[in-house]
Amino acid sequence: MITTAREVRQGIELEAAARNHVRSTMRLDFARDSGGHTLLRESFQEPPLKVVRAFALDDGSALAHLHNVSGGLLGGDHLSLQINVEAGASAQITTTGATRIYHARRGFSATTQCNDAIVGEGALLEYLPDAIIPFAGADFFQRTTIDLSEDAGAIWWEILAPGREASGERFAYERVVMRARVNALGHRIACENICMQPGKHDVASLARFGSYSYSATFYICRVGMDASYWRTAEDHLREATSSLTRPGQTLWGISTLVAHGLVVRCLARSGRDVLPGLQAVWRQAKMHLYNREAIPPRKVN
Amino acid sequence: MKDGNERDFAAVTEELVFLRLLHLADSALPIGGLAHSFGLETLASAGMLDVSDLADFLRGHLQEAGMLEAVACREAYRLLATDDTDLLAARWVEINDYLSAMKCARESRAASASLGRNFLQAILRLGDFPALRETWDASLAAKSQIHHAAAFGLVSATFNLPETLAVQAFLNQSTASLVSAYQRLLPLGQTEATHILWNLKPVIAEVSAASATHTLQEVSCFMPLLDWGAMEHPALSTRLFVS
Repeated sequence: MITTAREVRQGIELEAAARNHVRSTMRLDFARDSGGHTLLRESFQEPPLKVVRAFALDDGSALAHLHNVSGGLLGGDHLSLQINVEAGASAQITTTGATRIYHARRGFSATTQCNDAIVGEGALLEYLPDAIIPFAGADFFQRTTIDLSEDAGAIWWEILAPGREASGERFAYERVVMRARVNALGHRIACENICMQPGKHDVASLARFGSYSYSATFYICRVGMDASYWRTAEDHLREATSSLTRPGQTLWGISTLVAHGLVVRCLARSGRDVLPGLQAVWRQAKMHLYNREAIPPRKVN
Repeated sequence: MKDGNERDFAAVTEELVFLRLLHLADSALPIGGLAHSFGLETLASAGMLDVSDLADFLRGHLQEAGMLEAVACREAYRLLATDDTDLLAARWVEINDYLSAMKCARESRAASASLGRNFLQAILRLGDFPALRETWDASLAAKSQIHHAAAFGLVSATFNLPETLAVQAFLNQSTASLVSAYQRLLPLGQTEATHILWNLKPVIAEVSAASATHTLQEVSCFMPLLDWGAMEHPALSTRLFVS
């Protein structure tokens, strides 16, 4: 069998890729104690994912900061985040900064991240991360599944940036695939399949981003409320989203899901508008759904 | 095909098959299609969609929403190959529930479901089609919506229309409906509308071909700007369309 220098080099690269791949799992179990406070009862952590500790919030919730101590994700990395919020518990998870997806080197597979959340009866999970920033040449696949029990709630957003805008990168990534499923009592209530390949499809098409470059999807769910409740909630929260909309700069839309929740969609030209807008809608939604103040997570960096 | 009526349909001539396809895929079929813009009205109202942008918009729309609906149409079409009526009903509900979950804007979801329900109901009034009746009943029992793309696929299989032609016809009529809606919103002349639709035929063929190699679970559909338009349509002060 003839082996060319090129094949040898490719083999070395693949072997190096396999050695350097990160396979990381983080499992966080939140439970409610007898005093009504939520604790991070158990965690399993593999680098580069790290949660140092959970902080008690004034409303009895537990706040966990999700660190990626490596600074970002490389091609071939596979990260798995498993969150379990037991019955009656209330957990808030945020990141310490943007999730950076680096350029995928030749021979490396896509960077993958799998998020699985189970929210028990009467529990609440608030997942409030910073933006995902796919660098030029990045190849990223994310799968998210959220399973909600009776009276379980979820506040869950994702922000997708077009790249490192400060470095002149805008939709310079290879591919971003984001799949999300939200299930309530075993029934699918929301499903999102995003596949952005700027090299193949015109992202500036009016059927896609138009002149905007940032997008955010925000799910607001609580199982058990009927359709009329959600129509009222949609109308109520539309006042908040409409006040945030500035055509040409930022667009905010809201709609009821098939059942048990709402979805908010944001498009923005600047990333600066997205997070404050999400927090503003979150505050209104938390008050409407739970009659409780939203407590913005303290950032540790 | 399993019963008397459907056997009769299997024996119809090629010409009759063609005429039925033309009938079912007519965007003017009275099932309520003229009442919906699927968010287009908001974009037009906001000045975001000029006539010069329309062809490009429709191309992207076909590649995203068109692809999703084409795959749903094919999967529903292929359901009729099974002899297991329970499986047929369960899978039918599954396809429609999936489409409901994928359609994030309430009004567009309801519009697709309204067209699908009206379409299937209109066909059921044409004769006795046990498989269609099974699926209708299954949707009612599961409180599940019936989406137009899925209903079109299932009905096309019932009438022995060729699968790929059915998918292409569906995409063609849904695109024609959007162009028709646009003509009622902004000054788009008949000649230009015809030109745009004519030039989109290769895209329809491409999307139809690509849809044959995808499953519903894996096909992507991401149109954030149109989603915004559809979500904010209820807030428009003056509306020509229901969605």
